[in-house]
Amino acid sequence: MAIPHPREIQLAVVQWLDERYPFTKSIDEAMYQRVPNFANAFYYCFGGMVFVLIVLQLLTGILLAIYYVPDARGNPAPAYTSVIFIQNTVYLGWLIRGVHFWGANILIIMVLLHMARVYWTGSYRAPRELNWMVGIIMLLLILVLALSGYLLPWDTKAYFATEVTIKIAGSAPPAALGAFIKTVLQGGPVVGPPTLQIFFTAHVFLLPALIVLLMYVHFRFIRAHGISEPM
Amino acid sequence: MALERVTRRTFIGWWMASILTSLTVAGIAPILVFLWPAPPKGQKKGPLTIALDTPLNQINDGQAVKFNAPTSPNSAFIMADGGGDNAPGDLAFGGFVVKNQGKVDVLAINCSHLGCSVALNANANSFDCPCHGSRFHLDGTVLHGPAQFPLSHLSWKHGQDAKTIEVDGIILGF
Repeated sequence: MAIPHPREIQLAVVQWLDERYPFTKSIDEAMYQRVPNFANAFYYCFGGMVFVLIVLQLLTGILLAIYYVPDARGNPAPAYTSVIFIQNTVYLGWLIRGVHFWGANILIIMVLLHMARVYWTGSYRAPRELNWMVGIIMLLLILVLALSGYLLPWDTKAYFATEVTIKIAGSAPPAALGAFIKTVLQGGPVVGPPTLQIFFTAHVFLLPALIVLLMYVHFRFIRAHGISEPM
Repeated sequence: MALERVTRRTFIGWWMASILTSLTVAGIAPILVFLWPAPPKGQKKGPLTIALDTPLNQINDGQAVKFNAPTSPNSAFIMADGGGDNAPGDLAFGGFVVKNQGKVDVLAINCSHLGCSVALNANANSFDCPCHGSRFHLDGTVLHGPAQFPLSHLSWKHGQDAKTIEVDGIILGF
């Protein structure tokens, strides 16, 4: 039996896959898109940069979650000591957390720049209004992600910043509604371990799932509408 | 306007829609109850026994003694009154015992402006807030803004001896 050339093995594998699902076709459709010349301007890249940053946040976030302990009971609390551990002991932990921290900051800037570009080129107009709305929801999700992530180190700055933000959320009128919001966000009568648990769950499970889902919707809309023509 | 005839199909459609709606509500309602914070095991309201640095009968007129909520188990005081940022039932993690013209007051430590912990200014006989500069007389009334309301009182009674007081509070359970 002749030894097959690697290319033959490769073709056989792709063929086997393509017979079961049109992988080649869908990848071709996704990758080989004509990009109009006007879309080569640098400011059309902001959305893509946001995407890259979100992927970076997801990756570094998963790595941080391996060592982070969302437990605020006791003094010093494991939440705080685990962040110290990531920062000082884990190999490259300082880098992973640094990228996650600065990535979050740059992400917000990039989101605002992307939004400014969409506004500037009028890309929010018909028939693309729905994608603008999805984008606004994602902007709010990013801000809530930043807010909830701020509490997780469980240091004094994190604690009192969250006191302030929950106080602002709790000042919603009427007073009974404000008190309700405050109690639900705090998970009890004061900012404490239940608050950290809630913010952790939102930051790590709920919000990333939502934003990934909405990103998919966002991209499907872009594919459906095409890149908007300049004004 | 004549009423449109209800067909069998419309009737069943509305029936199905209402059943589906009630099922959705019945499914979501327990989740909402689940989300409402359950008090941790061991959370209990009741008087907290506080040992003062200076016994009550040795506090001079115009003198204030600071005390903190116990940390084992984690506890907080419950405000009896309040205005501005404070409200009756709000929690405080510290307070002052003050003697004014023979009368003893127990005040919560939270500034009525935005809730920072006020500090005793022994030289000026006032409580000064480090955050935005509010100042209070030793009886809790406002000496200088931005605070507009007096400091909150804590309900208290004498303890077993002059060194202890019983302050209304809550064991947080975590």
